[in-house]
Formats: sequence, C-alpha cells, structure tokens
Amino acid sequence: MAKWGMVIDLDKCTGCQACTTACTMENNRLPGEHWQDVLFYHEGTYPNVKLMWFPRPCMHCENPSCVSVCPTKATYKDPNGGFVLMDYNRCIGCKYCQVACPYGVRFYVDEKAVVQPDIRGAFPSDDGRQWDPPYKGPQDDPSRGIGIQPHGVVSKCTFCYHKVSKAPEGVADLDEDIPELKEYVPACVRVCPPKARFFGDLDQPESRVNRLIADQRGVRLKDETGNKPQVYYLSGGASASVPSLRSMAAAPAPEDAADTINEISDTASRSA
Amino acid sequence: MNNAHPQTSPPAPATHDPAQDLANKRLAILIIALVGLLLAGGQTLANLATQGHAAFNTTNLGLFWGLPIVIYDYFLLTSTGLAMVASLAIVTGAEEFRPVLRRTVWLALAGLLGGVVVLMLELGHPLRALWAVPFSFAFSSPLYWKVMAVSFYVLSLLVLLYRLLRTHWTLQSLRPYALVALALALSVTAIAGVVYGSQSFRPFWASGDIPVAFIFESLLGGLAFIYFFSYLAYAFNPKWMPADLRHLFDTRLPTLLALAIFIHLLFVVARLGSGLYGNAEGLQVWQYLASSPLLYLELFVGLLLPLILLMLPQTRTYPAVQIVASLLVMNALLIARYEYIIGGQLVPLFKGAWAPDLINYVPSMTGWLLLLVAIFLSNAVNAFGELKLGLGSNEQ
Amino acid sequence: MEITPAPVSRRRFLQASGAAGALGAAGLGGGLFTTLRPSAAQTSASRDTAPETRITKNICHQCPARCGIDVYTTDGRVHAIYGTSDHPIANGKLCPKGPLGTYILYDPDRFKGPMKRTNPKKGRDQNPRFVPISWDEALDTVAERLNTLRDQGESHRFALCYGRGWGASDAGLLGNFGALYGSPNVPIGHSSMCSDGSIQAKKALDGVGGYNAYDYANANMLLMFGVGFLEAFRPYNHNMQVWGYIRGERVPKTRVTAVDIHLNTTLAGADRALLIKPGTDGALALAIAHVILTEGLWDRAFVGDFRDGENRFQAGRRVNPASFDEKWVSGLVDWWNIELKDCTPDWAAEITTLFARDILATAREFGTTRPSIALFERGAHAHSNGLLNGMAIHALNALVGSLYAEGGLMSQMGPSYGPLPADAEDYKDDYANNGPWKNRPRIDLKGDKDGYLLARNMLQELGPNSLAGKPYKLDTIMFYTTNPIWTAPNGQVWEEALKELFVIDTSPFPSESALFADLVLPEHTYLERLQDSPTYPFQGWPLTQLRVPAIEPLYDTKYFGDTLIEIGKRIKGPMGDYYRALDNSENVLRHLAQGFADDPGDNGVNSFESWKEKGVWYKKPYIYRQVDGEFRQWDGRDYNLVMSENEVKENLFKTPSGKFELRSSWLEEHADWIAEKTGRDRDKLMFAHWEVPQHPGGGDLYMVTPKVAMHAEGRGANIPVAIATLQPVLGGRSTAYIEINPKTARARGIANGAKVRLRSDLGSIEGYCKYFEGCRPDTIVFPMEHGHWAMGRWAKGRLPEHCGDITVNQSDRVTGQCSYYTTKVTIEPA
Repeated sequence: MAKWGMVIDLDKCTGCQACTTACTMENNRLPGEHWQDVLFYHEGTYPNVKLMWFPRPCMHCENPSCVSVCPTKATYKDPNGGFVLMDYNRCIGCKYCQVACPYGVRFYVDEKAVVQPDIRGAFPSDDGRQWDPPYKGPQDDPSRGIGIQPHGVVSKCTFCYHKVSKAPEGVADLDEDIPELKEYVPACVRVCPPKARFFGDLDQPESRVNRLIADQRGVRLKDETGNKPQVYYLSGGASASVPSLRSMAAAPAPEDAADTINEISDTASRSA
Repeated sequence: MNNAHPQTSPPAPATHDPAQDLANKRLAILIIALVGLLLAGGQTLANLATQGHAAFNTTNLGLFWGLPIVIYDYFLLTSTGLAMVASLAIVTGAEEFRPVLRRTVWLALAGLLGGVVVLMLELGHPLRALWAVPFSFAFSSPLYWKVMAVSFYVLSLLVLLYRLLRTHWTLQSLRPYALVALALALSVTAIAGVVYGSQSFRPFWASGDIPVAFIFESLLGGLAFIYFFSYLAYAFNPKWMPADLRHLFDTRLPTLLALAIFIHLLFVVARLGSGLYGNAEGLQVWQYLASSPLLYLELFVGLLLPLILLMLPQTRTYPAVQIVASLLVMNALLIARYEYIIGGQLVPLFKGAWAPDLINYVPSMTGWLLLLVAIFLSNAVNAFGELKLGLGSNEQ
Repeated sequence: MEITPAPVSRRRFLQASGAAGALGAAGLGGGLFTTLRPSAAQTSASRDTAPETRITKNICHQCPARCGIDVYTTDGRVHAIYGTSDHPIANGKLCPKGPLGTYILYDPDRFKGPMKRTNPKKGRDQNPRFVPISWDEALDTVAERLNTLRDQGESHRFALCYGRGWGASDAGLLGNFGALYGSPNVPIGHSSMCSDGSIQAKKALDGVGGYNAYDYANANMLLMFGVGFLEAFRPYNHNMQVWGYIRGERVPKTRVTAVDIHLNTTLAGADRALLIKPGTDGALALAIAHVILTEGLWDRAFVGDFRDGENRFQAGRRVNPASFDEKWVSGLVDWWNIELKDCTPDWAAEITTLFARDILATAREFGTTRPSIALFERGAHAHSNGLLNGMAIHALNALVGSLYAEGGLMSQMGPSYGPLPADAEDYKDDYANNGPWKNRPRIDLKGDKDGYLLARNMLQELGPNSLAGKPYKLDTIMFYTTNPIWTAPNGQVWEEALKELFVIDTSPFPSESALFADLVLPEHTYLERLQDSPTYPFQGWPLTQLRVPAIEPLYDTKYFGDTLIEIGKRIKGPMGDYYRALDNSENVLRHLAQGFADDPGDNGVNSFESWKEKGVWYKKPYIYRQVDGEFRQWDGRDYNLVMSENEVKENLFKTPSGKFELRSSWLEEHADWIAEKTGRDRDKLMFAHWEVPQHPGGGDLYMVTPKVAMHAEGRGANIPVAIATLQPVLGGRSTAYIEINPKTARARGIANGAKVRLRSDLGSIEGYCKYFEGCRPDTIVFPMEHGHWAMGRWAKGRLPEHCGDITVNQSDRVTGQCSYYTTKVTIEPA
C-alpha cells in the first residue's frame, strides 16, 4: 500500500503553467477553475521587486481538515495510496470542505463562469453533468471524483488517480522518463518541462521523493495547520519561494492600503 | 369568536368589533406574507432554474458561504434563541412569560422553516442530504452534529408546541419537555459556533468562545423577536394587547432585553478590540470592517441606541420605542452575522495574484431574494398560527 | 500503439425527469433541481469492451518550436495531447499551450467548409453573410480570377501572403507557384513582422541570415537581451527543459543575466536582472564589448591578438589597426576606433538608465565565464536602431569565441529531403520566363530602392502600398496562416486596403481578415493534417517531423497544400501539368521522404511509413565545431577534419571575406542607399554603433506588448483556458491588465485597477490597468492577445482593446523589421 507524495522543486520551476493546463485538459476542468494552479506573488518597490511563483496542487494531506469536516463523508482519505478523494454521489454541495481547506484547492463550479461566455453552453450535456466537451477523456469514476464534475458538488485534484492507480504494485517512483511508466504519471508531473515535479511513494524509504525531501530539505506548505501535506517543496532560494502569507499577492504601498481591488468580472472586461 | 359576515348582518353600529378587526388584520398580514413569498419565491426559483448556483456571487477564490448561508444561520439561531427563551421561562417557572410562550415556540418553528428552506435552495444536493448526512456517522464533522441536533431540536419543539396548544397546561407540567428543548437549543447554537470556531487557521473565526458568543447572541435575538412579533400579532395596536402581555413588556422584558444587548455588546467589543490589534493573517479583515459604516451602524444605532432607550425610564415603556428597539436589534444581529460569516472568508486562500488582497463580495439579487423568501415564509407560517392557533391565548 | 485501459466503472441510476433534459440543453441549471439528476456514468458505458485508445504523431501548432506530440484518440474523440517521449525537442514534455490543441480541433467557432461572401460591404461591423459552396466552385472561382489576370498580363496583381508556414508541403510549394504563375508577390512571407531584425543584423556580420541554433546545455553563461526565455522564446518547451538542467542539475550552474523592460519570470529566475530603457540594448552591448576589449577578456584564439601581446585597448584611445592580427573577425580595430573606444559603462549607464556597476559586472562575467552566449530577438531590435542594436549584441559572441563552439551558437542545418515529384523549371512557359510581371517591383517594395532594399519581406507595407496604389494596386490577395488586419500595426489601413481587393482566406477560424474575405477556403486544424515541418533553428543538427491526422477531418475542410495544388491544376498552360505531376500533398511528402532512404535518421526512420510512425527524422551531431579558433568537421567519429578558410567561407561565415565582419561589407556595399535613407554617417554605418531610436506615436510612455507563455499563435484569444491563465503575474484571467508603475499612475491620477485610455497619434484604446512595481516608470506593458473584434465568441470584444490600433507602422529602414514595441503613448483615466 503506497502513500503517494509529490515533490516540487521551486528552483527549477519556470512558472509556465504547463502543469495547470495539462491538468485542466486531462481532467476537463472549466477555464479558471484549475485544480492545479501556479500562483504568482510579488513584493518590493521598483526597481527591486521580488517576483515569486508557486505551483499548488491538492496537498493530499495526511490529516486532511477537509475530510474531518465533511458531514456525509463524501470526501475521504483512501488508505490505498494515500489519496484524498471525492465521492460525487455522496456530496451534497455544502462547501464546508472548501471552507476548511487551508490551501484553497477545492472547486465548486456551479457559479458564474470565470470566462464568458460560459463554455458549458457551447458543449452542453444531456445526462446531468455540467457539460460534455468533445475532448473529454474516457476516464469516469464518480465515486473517486473522476470525470466531468456533476452539478452541485465539490471537486479537487485526484493526483490523477485514474492513472496512478493502474501503476504496477511496488513501484517506488512514477517517472515519466521511463517509457513503461509514463502513462501512470499524473499529468502535471508528466508535462513539466524543467522536470521540477516528482511523484513517488513516501512509504518506501528508497524512493526518490524521500531522498529529495531529505537531501534538499523539502518543506510542507503552511505546516502550522497540522494538516501534514503529502506535497513537499524544495527551495534553495534561487528562484521562487514558499509564500508566507496565503494572501500575499500584490503587496500595496501604505497609501494604497485602502484600495480593495475588485476582480474585474468577465462582463466588465468585455467592451460594450 | 364572533365571525359575522358583513353581507348577512345588519349594518354594524358605530363601534367596531376589535376582535374582528384584529382577525382581519391578521388575515391581511398572512395574505401579504403569502403574496410576498409567491413573488420572491417565484423569482428565486426562476433564477435558480436558469442560472443554477451562478445566481449567487460566491466564487472559488475564497468566498464560499455567502448571504444565503448568513440567512440560514440567522434564522436558525433566532429560532434557537426563541426556543431558549421560552424553555428557560418554563424551566424557571417564570409565570409572567405565559402570554408569549405559545407564540414564541410557534415562531421558533416558523423561523427554522424559513432558514432551512433557504439552506435547501443553496445546497448542491439538498434532498440527498436527507439521507446522506444521518447515515454517514461522520462524527468528526461539526456539520454532522449540527444536522443531527437540529433534527432532534425540531422534534422537541413540536412536542413542546403540542403540549402548549392544549387548552390546559401548567409551567410545571411542561418542565421536562422544556428542559429537553432547552438542552437541544443550546446544543444547536453551540455547535453552530463550533462550525466556525473550529477553523483554526481562520483567526477571524477561530476562538473557543464562539459557541458562547453565539448563545448570547441567540438569546438576544429571541428576546427582540418576541417583542416585535407580539406587537405584529396585535397589528401594532397596543390597545388590543392583553394586560398581562403589556405588563411583561413594560417590566421584565425591557430589562432582560437591555441586559442581553449589553452582554452581546461586550462580546462584540472584546472581539473588535483584540482583532484590531492582531497582525495575524486573516485579522486584517477587522481593519476593513472598522473602516466601513456598517459596523458603526450595527454598534451605535443597532445596539447602543436600543440599550439606552430600554434603560431610560422615560422611554422604555413606550410601545413605539419597544418596537423600534427590537427592530434595530434584529437588524443589528443580521449585520453581525453577515460580518462574521463573510469576514472569515474575505482573505483569499492561496490564489496568488488571481484574487485581490481582500475579496470583494456583494450579495447577488438572488441572495437578497432569498432573504425575502425566508422573511415571508416565516411570516406566513407565523401569521397562519396567529390566525388559527390562538397563539395569544394563555388559558390555564 | 494501442493502450487499453481497464474498463471504466459503470453505474446507472434512475434517469432524471424531463426538466433535467431541458436544463441540460440550456447547458446550465442546477440548484434545487440537481438532486433530481444524479451522476450517471457518461461515456461509452453501454459497451461491453474497454475503449481502445490510438496514439498518433503530430506537431504542436501553437508556436514555431514544433514539439512532437502524441495525440490520444479514444472512440473517435481526441482527448489528450502529451509530448512525444523520443522526440528531441519535446522529450515527452510540453509547454502550457500544448495540451490545448484538442480544444483548437473542437473549437465551436470553426469554419465548417468553403464559403463565399454575399454581403458586398466590408467592415468591422459588417456581416459577410457567407454562404456555403462546394470545393469545386471555390477552386474554380480562384482559378478563374488567376487565369484572367494572367491573360491580361496582370498576374503581378495577385499576392499570396503567409504567416506560419510549416514546411515543404505547404509554404514550401509557394515559391514554385509564384515562379510558374508569374507574380513577384507569391509568396510574401511575414518575416518582417516576425524577427527579421535579428536575421539581417546577423547577416551583416556573419553572412548567414538566419536564426541561430544554440547549445545552451553546455554554456556557462547566458546573456539575454529582450528575450522571454521562460515565456515565449523558441523552442519554448525545450528552453524550459534546458533551464531545469542548467539551473537545477548542472555543475557548475549556468549563470544567467537577463535584460528587459519589465520584470518577468525570465528576469526573476536569472542571477542578474537589468531593467533597461526600451530601445537602448545596443548601448549596453557596446559597453560590454568595450569592457571585454579594455580588460583583455576576448577569446584570442578566435579573434586574434596584438602582435606583441600587449593590450592597447584603452578608453578613449585610438589603436593602430596594423598592431593587431585578426584571426576569424575583420574590422575589430576599425570598430574600436570609430565607436567602441568611447562606449564606457558610465556612458551606457546614462543612456540605458542601468547602473554602471551592473554593466561592468555583466561584461566581466560574460567575458570570463565561457562559453557564453549573447542572445536577442525583437525586444532589442524592433526599433529604428534595431539593426545596430542587433549587430552590437551578436558581435559579443564573436568577441568571446562562441560561434560554432561547444556551448555556443551556430546555424541550423536542413533535412535530407528527396526531390519533389516534378521539377518546376521544366514547366515554365514563356510568360513565366519573360512575362511583364518580371519588370514589376514587389507590392511590398522589398528589394526595391524606393522601398526596403535590404529587407527579406515587408508584409506590413503590403496593405498600405496597395491602398495607395504605389507601386500599384493589387487585384486579388490570398492569405495562408496570417491575419494582417490584426497583426499588422495600424491594421485599420489594411481594412481599407482589403475593401478594394478580392480576398481569399484559408484559415479554419473566423479571423478579422477572414471576415473581409470574398472566399473562404478553410483548411484542417493541425490534428487533422498530414504535413511536414523541418525544425525551427534548434541545436543545429537537422530534424524534420510530420503531422499525422488523428481523426478524419471534422468538417469539409482541405489542407492548404492540397488547396494550392488544386488551384495550380486549374491554371492554364504547363503550370497545370506541373501540379498534376505533384498530384497531392501526400504524394509530395512521400517524395520528400525518399531522401531518408539514403540518410536514415538516428531513430531508424528511413521511409515515409517509418516517418509517420515515429513522427520525426533527425540526425546528430551538428557537423561543424570551432575549437580554440580552429574549425573542424565531423568525420563520423569526432570533429577531426580541419576545415580550410574556403570551406569556412562557404559554409559558416558566408561573407565576402569569409570572416565574421565587424565591419560589415554587406552594409558597406549599400552605403549610398543606407546613408540616403537613414541619414547615417557613411563612415559608421557599416559598424555596430549607438544611435538614438526614433519613437513615433507622440506619447510619453513606451508601449510594449510582449508574448506570454499562453499566447497560442493565431488562436490563443479564443481558447478559454488560455484566456483564464493568460497573465498570472497580475491575475489577468478574463482580461489582460495594462501594467503600469504605481508612481507613473499616481502622477496621472490613475487608481489601481481603473479603466484607462491609451492614446497615440493614431487614436486611442481602452482597458483596465494594474499597478506593478516591476514595470519601468517610463513604460507600460501588456500582452498582445485581446482586443479582437472577430476570432470567435471568447475572443470577441475582450479588453484591452487592440494595441495594433494605436501602433504606428514604423519599420527599421535597413532590416525592414516591423517595430511593434517602439510606439510611445499617453495614458489617462478612461
């Protein structure tokens, strides 16, 4: 029984968002509702500005705060692999898990679409799902949160369960550069050009992910929550860094403190 | 009661029959509530049918529980507040509360219904919840316990109401039922607090005292609602109110209400004070709240003003003052609940530059419509009770 | 290759009520009613066997990098794209655009088949009222027009412009078409609107005239001028792979200095970020060259040395040319004497607004941390002084000896294609050989002394020239992978020009130019095509790859190569025979692939079939290498064959002297023309030197519109996922924010997030701005992606409005480079 973990090397990450789009297309996410996202932060005054970026999948925590708050046990920790998964058929859409997750990795997508017009209107579904894009993948497993997201439920990254679960037993690392294993590798790991992401079994002492965490002092995000993520970050300080504040986006100058920048809605961003 | 039909009886004498007038007014209130419910409810259902959840302004940037949840919690905790007042009165043998007991319990049920209907319209799969929650045995989830507690709470209220609607009852005989209802009402309120207070990485919410704060807030709401809805039951005409009710309203109740406001104010100011000092992430919401007029409206107009009015001997017994004071408190509590629930979510969760520093949430039209739905539905149920169930009667 | 996944789980619940069906049709709906509609398994759940997945090879279309991709098709649906593992550019990886290809295939706004226009009026708000026609009718219409023009001796009035041409089976056919038909305007490439500034600047020095291939993985220092290495520089995917290696694994870690006009990921990831004033990269490069010489850091084996070994390069002091023995460069001392001697770091600091200490440190690092590469593209050369900036930067590579060295830069080799099915020379009739068209200048005045004598193309001039009737007005124009109304600066002129012409567009998508078309001949999207594409300059050794259709075409479209051949068949005379000999694009490809039989690729590809299976043919290594000032050629085992000076001149430094000409004889040869048109000093114009750039537009802020990682060529504006991730630095996910320095904004009364108006002499556009401390106070920056008024439902009307509407059409007078980033604008609250 594996405990799958991910290691992300922030020194190598180029902030390109390939992981984001690979995940989005593999899992048919709606535009702007990305299970995996790369978040950008910056701080400083011209010309000394620090620009940082941070890839953030679901952490698949060891002590997930989302699992403990779910009133229907729709989200659960699968001991066979350490995945935190959703059962779409039990979820009532109360969104407590979204509230309880410190990392903001959960998505309820019945709201107004980020990009208008709503793409669901272009590819409507007639079997009760949110939409039916022609490029949707064949995988479908609602009890594990895989497949087109139905109405009224919360979804999240599955560590590409539909791929990883088919990997041969006992493999320590799912390395996309090994031809026999590449179909089992999560999309975000597989596509990463600078090879900044690694996926392996944290329960196997000789796995590469464990070695990377130890050798390069991998850290977990927001460890003070006690959730104990299974995603570790390596940072030698060369490029991006682990953000200290979850809201540290654009740090405004003191005189701008009162500005609350509205997110420009898609409607406003279209000319009349 | 005399229900003479205007067409068949001879022209009425110059004096009106107050009972008939009251019945007409109550009917009018019921009709207004039903019409309002139809309009607001119809529009809401139409919006939800065409846009689904996109009719709300919640997003995945961090604001998950918007105005609909605020409404639900507000009505729920008002319900428990009313239940706690009624059951406390019964348990302590407070006879002067006799005139309001039936009304209070009925109103508790009506309020609960309004809140729950709004919740159902907000949830992704409301009907699924009916079986998925009870059979999940998700003991670690505050929401699981809330649902279980509310279920039993409703049952206990129904039993209590049944007993109260009988023509003969004594406070003594109701005691055991009231005790159970009290325990459950307290549980629901406290658990509702734990739902928020347990979220340790949201310092705006997280605190051990939240369940206690909720209980006192709830009691305050209960007392204010009793005032307002009793006056409503008599169409705001004090002359139609029975003497024992007037007595309660002019002696014990203003004191209790003032005391409740005071305690609630203590909680609010204490949280405000600590919050404004704190630098921890999430607490910047306090600065934001303190810079908006809504907070001051809540504190000064919504709480301090009624407190003063209810304490000054010159003003406390005026019906107009009592009505206005209770109305102000009801609104202040809605503002407080709104700021609490929304405030804890305004700092976005790991969205980087995709989200602003503080989420700008404005309730949608459908959200406001849901408030109207809850108000009209509760009022309709309540008005029906006033009309048909003799809630004002307190025969022994 | 087949992949058969385990059967998907199937669960069937009670079907929903009719209301759910109606809501489903509307595509929306939920809330209360969702409960009535539980999750039923969605795909092929009714089948008993597991779905079969096919993988076919293709080449990503979204930028010129040409990453080989594996396309996954299951049950007739193309649902996944991943990088091909054994493809040297992709290596199994992809940039963020790659996976979005399935969306492009299924784009709901695609043209479904050939159409003709029925609304005679053309304009932004005009509905073309296209009606579907058959391919026969469409092709006959085109041929009739072309034949008529030819019969009237006016064949020069037919122009065919192309943007992203891929290879021998599409754009590669165009040259012959033009020669056989008789038009100097077939084809007109887009390179002047691309990066000709670097090609011609490099040609002035090394005679090659092409983009460089680079050996980044073995370099110890990279100096990047205006290069979005981690955002768009091609091959983007591979650059990032290399980045992961050189910055994360390699010992020693490669040092990087990046120069640009705003903070981006490339600068943030570099060791040294230099926020330079736009248009002044040349001054920086000249100062670096100065330091390399004064501090004796040049590569003596390649460049040469003073006879007595004593370094006489001192600031402000002339040097006697006779005292220096040059090896592979020529004109070094002349250059020093006429320009470089005064280009001190302090001098450059004032011009560039950088700190002198940084300039000095950069120069020293570049000179000592070898092999080092200086690379640049549009950011540095899309200005009026672009040729000179480019020459200064490229010259740095010569000074440190990285040309053709390991860890350096080189030119790209082409693939071993076999000959086409027929030789066009055999099919030229009298008209083709001697027709009146031969005396006509090109419509864009490329190569004309009244136009741009030394440019390779001048596409941006075509529209304005035809409109003005100088040199003449066109009659018919055809577009292939280009949308000039939108991509040309000041595209409003093109709109007017196209109103007068018969326009044929071949795009699959409703672009702005397509909406001005009289005839639409839509081609397949790339996942439906059989098409070749030799590599963009990559690592020097030849590589060519193939697109193999993943599915049958969704609609009634036709591959452009075949469209061209079909038109060709319908031209009267021997030209028709030629195209009948070519027959179709697949036949062309089979003939090309025959060349592999004699020169099989490293992965065994030696035929058309094996090429289809593997997707790529390539042959390592790069056969030339410069080691310590000596040029060697690969002999099968190592770089053992020492090359003679003549061989170097023939293959590598294709200049009259056979050397890297710091004093450019090509420019000197045209000194009269250059001096007349640019006003440059006749003694200086053949050297890289500093010239103050001319910025049109009339404003006070530089307007720069770089490419970003999500900028999918020709389609990004209508891909919702691309729109939603377009501008992560500022959170632009339904719009792109205009970056403005907070000080600059406050001085103009502009609030953070406010709507703003940008103005130039050409007009104004609107959009939303955001404060960004990483932006220079004299510059505003936003990606050129939105502002479409066509292109599809997601593209249409999205703010900010199109920068091209206020970009002045100014080009480098010598290279012809369209200077997109050089217009100056004003900004005010809207």
